[in-house]
Amino acid sequence: MSDQAPATDDRLAAKPVSRTRETIQTLMANRLAVAGLVVLTILVFVGIFGEAIAPYGINDIDIPKRLTGPSSDHWFGTDELGRDVFSRVIVAARVSLQVGFIAVGFALVVGVPIGLISGYYRGGVDSFLMRMMDVLFSFPAILLAIAILAVLGPGVGNAMIAIGLVYTPIFARITRGSVLVVSEEVYIRAARSLGAGDRRIIFRHILPNVMAPIIVQTTLSLAFAILSEAALSFLGLGVQPPNPAWGRMLAEGRNFFEQAPWMGIFPGLAILFTVMSFNFVGDGLRDALDPKQKSVIESRGQSA
Amino acid sequence: MSEPILQVRDLGVRFGTKRGAAEVVNGISYDLHRGETLAIVGESGSGKSVGVLALMGLLAQPPASVSGSVRYHGNELVGLASKKWRGIRGMGIAMIFQDPMTSLNPVRTVGYQLAEPMELHLDLKGGAARQRAVELLDLVGIPSPEARIDDYPHQLSGGMRQRVMIAMGLACDPDVLIADEATTALDVTTQAQITELVAGLQERLGMAVIWITHDLGVVASIADRVHVMYGGRFMEQASVDELYAAPQHPYTEGLLGSLPMPGSDRPDRLVTIPGLPPDPVTMPPGCPFAPRCGYADNTQCTAAMPEMALMAERHEAACYHPIGAGHE
Amino acid sequence: MSGFLVKRILQMLLALFGVSIVVFALMHLVPGDPVRVALGTRFDQDLYDALRERAGLDQPLIQQYLSWLGGVLTGDLGVSFRNGQPVTTLILERLPATITLALAALFIALVVALPAGIISAVRSGSGLDYTVSAASQVGISMPDFWAGVMYILIFSLTLGWLPSSGYSPLSEGVVEWARHLILPALTIGLISGSIITRFVRSAVLEALNQDYVLTARAKGLSEWQIVRRHVLPNAWIPIVTVVGLQLGFLLGGVVVTEVIFAWPGLGRLALTAVKDRDFTVLQGAVLYIAFMFLAINLIVDIIYARLDPRVRVS
Repeated sequence: MSDQAPATDDRLAAKPVSRTRETIQTLMANRLAVAGLVVLTILVFVGIFGEAIAPYGINDIDIPKRLTGPSSDHWFGTDELGRDVFSRVIVAARVSLQVGFIAVGFALVVGVPIGLISGYYRGGVDSFLMRMMDVLFSFPAILLAIAILAVLGPGVGNAMIAIGLVYTPIFARITRGSVLVVSEEVYIRAARSLGAGDRRIIFRHILPNVMAPIIVQTTLSLAFAILSEAALSFLGLGVQPPNPAWGRMLAEGRNFFEQAPWMGIFPGLAILFTVMSFNFVGDGLRDALDPKQKSVIESRGQSA
Repeated sequence: MSEPILQVRDLGVRFGTKRGAAEVVNGISYDLHRGETLAIVGESGSGKSVGVLALMGLLAQPPASVSGSVRYHGNELVGLASKKWRGIRGMGIAMIFQDPMTSLNPVRTVGYQLAEPMELHLDLKGGAARQRAVELLDLVGIPSPEARIDDYPHQLSGGMRQRVMIAMGLACDPDVLIADEATTALDVTTQAQITELVAGLQERLGMAVIWITHDLGVVASIADRVHVMYGGRFMEQASVDELYAAPQHPYTEGLLGSLPMPGSDRPDRLVTIPGLPPDPVTMPPGCPFAPRCGYADNTQCTAAMPEMALMAERHEAACYHPIGAGHE
Repeated sequence: MSGFLVKRILQMLLALFGVSIVVFALMHLVPGDPVRVALGTRFDQDLYDALRERAGLDQPLIQQYLSWLGGVLTGDLGVSFRNGQPVTTLILERLPATITLALAALFIALVVALPAGIISAVRSGSGLDYTVSAASQVGISMPDFWAGVMYILIFSLTLGWLPSSGYSPLSEGVVEWARHLILPALTIGLISGSIITRFVRSAVLEALNQDYVLTARAKGLSEWQIVRRHVLPNAWIPIVTVVGLQLGFLLGGVVVTEVIFAWPGLGRLALTAVKDRDFTVLQGAVLYIAFMFLAINLIVDIIYARLDPRVRVS
């Protein structure tokens, strides 16, 4: 092997990385994606500094002021114990984001390698792994999460694992599909014919080229993971009292819905906006990263 | 000569793009007479396909905007209401596209797609349409048409599919058939068969044909007249024989030079034209070919587009330095 | 076609086998003794022994699995740890409510999604398209429990038009049946519809950009003729897939919506089982839902093959 060969094939494989700039530009031109990014930035900030920003403590009980409507003192009103709903919504952002990121991180760490191995080695390994993923895919997402929590017991940590497991097969399948396509590309064959090892080919050549769909799926999965966490907490299987979580607050608010609808409205809006922001960014990334879809939009004018 | 079927005058197409307006077709004019085959030749990006799509009213406006005039039997087509268009497309003027693999609907049978224009324009339905569809398949040389008619496109080869496309074009006896790069996607043998087929059908049916291609070789065997297009304009127009024998425009010469021709007295080495076609958004003011032209000067050629001028009988070229003028 | 089908059926059987192992493992992964856990404070030695023996928990694991699987194949899913009722009966009781809700929700979803998706694709880039896209984006991001609670707030608590919860069987009158069905069906149907809208739009848009559409225009077909005759027959293929997935998901019991509206469906059965630690019921419900999910996927594949001649005729 000459020393030059890897340098050449690295340059070929590095092509998509140089697209980063263009991707960012396209993303920034998408107003919805930018709006989503702004909301998410604020959300992360709120998630980190929650207690410091919140005007009240999350468990500051003030019985005389229970179930009062939104006012200048309590922007989102108070709950049945007189706790400030605004403060609780703010502080609950952290756990939502945490569950989202950790659960999707789990799905990524488990799913992507499965997809890489499946798509690269094919054959028996591929069949075995994919049939396993099929099994996980045979359950509706929320039901699988509930079943897993039935075994592990309710709680935030277990909710993360359950949601992560539910989303693992999606990452495995998407990665595998892209790997199958990319493996046929000339530069991969070239790298192979130059004697590059499997590990080198997978990490240096294949992985960078299958990142685009994985990034898009990550963003969209974050949206649905947060939605799932909220649903599990609503059902009492996720975050446990007295810690605030959007889904939990909604469930508790339901009992006082006629007197104090704000107890449910605001946590719900928080979930809606968070999930929508992730969706906007995910869609924006898809448009920016997937040139096929881009050409569909552009070519429409020509043929219509 | 009789009244032309199709009279194109100063046809222009402009696209609004993010970078500015792109002048993709710039004032082309020609006549098409009954039974005539007219070829429009140019590289990809020369505007030849856009030109015929505009003629057929198939460009979405916006982003495209079409100017000039196209008269079909004396009736103006530019700006025609879409309802009236439907009676002309597929009925009077039919079109065949480049890629027979994608131009047929994969989930409809050959028979369905063939019968569609008849049902639409001739009010032929059921058995009668099917009967005619079989006849058409036979006409375009598809063996055992009764069996093939219920096939789906994916069951046919590329050449067969292009024959189906041609049959579909002929369904309503159009007087104009436009073939847009109709042989480009096919292999060489099939190309020749399809070209011959169209030439033969034209003779039998008396249609006029507009043949759009980048390949002067295809043109030689079938066309009566040739228009050479570059950068959205016609550069030269002449009969096929004239054009081959005495090309006047340097671009035509270049095209002929890049054509392998056995038995000709041209040098064996193929000549390529250096450079790339111009970008329609930043089109230079003068002759679009000037930047690639070996004969161009720095005054006239880059300042203004030369007028189309008569070089010989029915042979025109738009060039300040035509080949016939005898420069070395 | 038949080769394709056989392959799909084999894959489904394989997945079902995997599902059965996962579901079986559910009970055995629980720390501690599931029967003791389920009985909790109501512990009674005789009942405990009877349930353990009925569940075969004193036999080796592989033996337990095989006898459980044998039971499953003959329709015997065991008895509830909680009240001793056969699990199969419990599931069958819940089925009508679940199927009713699923079909009603799918109906709403399709009524919304098909026109919205098709029009926004055909008029892509128009104001209408943006409106549809924005609305579907909100729908996709909408937590179902929040939407449900909001509908209750508006339509039952404030306006008093519809009941806020419960299920009324069709046998007790169409009007009551419908009145109870509307809100839960709307809750889940609009969310489902938003998802389907996006798929319909992109499938139609994709088909509109194909060369055969230009061919159809050149033949002289009108815009709507092209959509009807050429675009939709191609677009159905991906649309059927997503609609099938949605139906599978709806039939699996929409747990949250069922909880909000006190809807006596499968999802709530499963959730109650989790809370009661009634593992035989949970196993049965999960197994049944997964089976339905896979069966629908198989049906989708069959329809898919019918719609696409490239699969049908090989």
